[in-house]
Amino acid sequence: MTEASRLAHRPALAHLFWWFMFAQGGVIAAVLIPVHILVQGILGPLGWVNVVDRHYDTWINLLGNPIVKLYLLVLIAVPFFHFAHRVRYLLVDLGVPAARSTPAQVVFYGAAVLVTLITIWVLLTTAPISLG
Amino acid sequence: MSLPAGEARPALSNTYRWSMPANWWIRKRHYFFYMLREFTALPLAVWLLWFLVEIKRAGDGPAAYAPHGSALFVAFSVVCLAFALYHSITFLSLAGVIIHVKFLGRPVPSRLIVLSQFGLWAAASILIGFALIWFGR
Repeated sequence: MTEASRLAHRPALAHLFWWFMFAQGGVIAAVLIPVHILVQGILGPLGWVNVVDRHYDTWINLLGNPIVKLYLLVLIAVPFFHFAHRVRYLLVDLGVPAARSTPAQVVFYGAAVLVTLITIWVLLTTAPISLG
Repeated sequence: MSLPAGEARPALSNTYRWSMPANWWIRKRHYFFYMLREFTALPLAVWLLWFLVEIKRAGDGPAAYAPHGSALFVAFSVVCLAFALYHSITFLSLAGVIIHVKFLGRPVPSRLIVLSQFGLWAAASILIGFALIWFGR
């Protein structure tokens, strides 16, 4: 086996990971985002229903729950791995082939990783973890 | 792989370089909706970042906390909801093409798979919507 064919037959683990994240991000975004926009972005601000984030007390209580923190991390961070791919290919389709390059991949998926880290930081620093 | 000795690379000026016209995607409705589907990522990303800001604001304490509530934010959310629904419908419909499972030796019809995805979406939406309102009392 030559070096080239050995490399060609190596399992593409990076591909597997990024495609997995792309698919998961798509599912999370599809299943979870619309109801949050409807309830927290429209019904709550219009005052049609009482929504948890309209009042400090209810919001901070919920944010302290570790399961809620984990849920919010998944809800906010994972879709960005989907968005990164989508926007990259939006640029390719608009005539920017450079969006396919490795530096572009580092920038876009790096941005998704950055959003993940910022989300973790925000969730850990806003409300102290409590099980009450 | 390297070229055999003596064989020169073709001159770049001789290669035919074709590029898509920039407006290809507004020529056909189908192309337009394909691009719209890719575009949904941007408004949804912005909405999620706004949501993250609201979580961060809860750390400012009870006196300083002000949730998003302007008319502009509601209007932006309405636009985002339209994009979100478009993403959900197109993405969950894809499951019928991607997922192939057999039940009792017979392939499950793709319509049933798509239906199950939409069922999951509906169930999750009701559950989360209920929780957001229940904990807001």
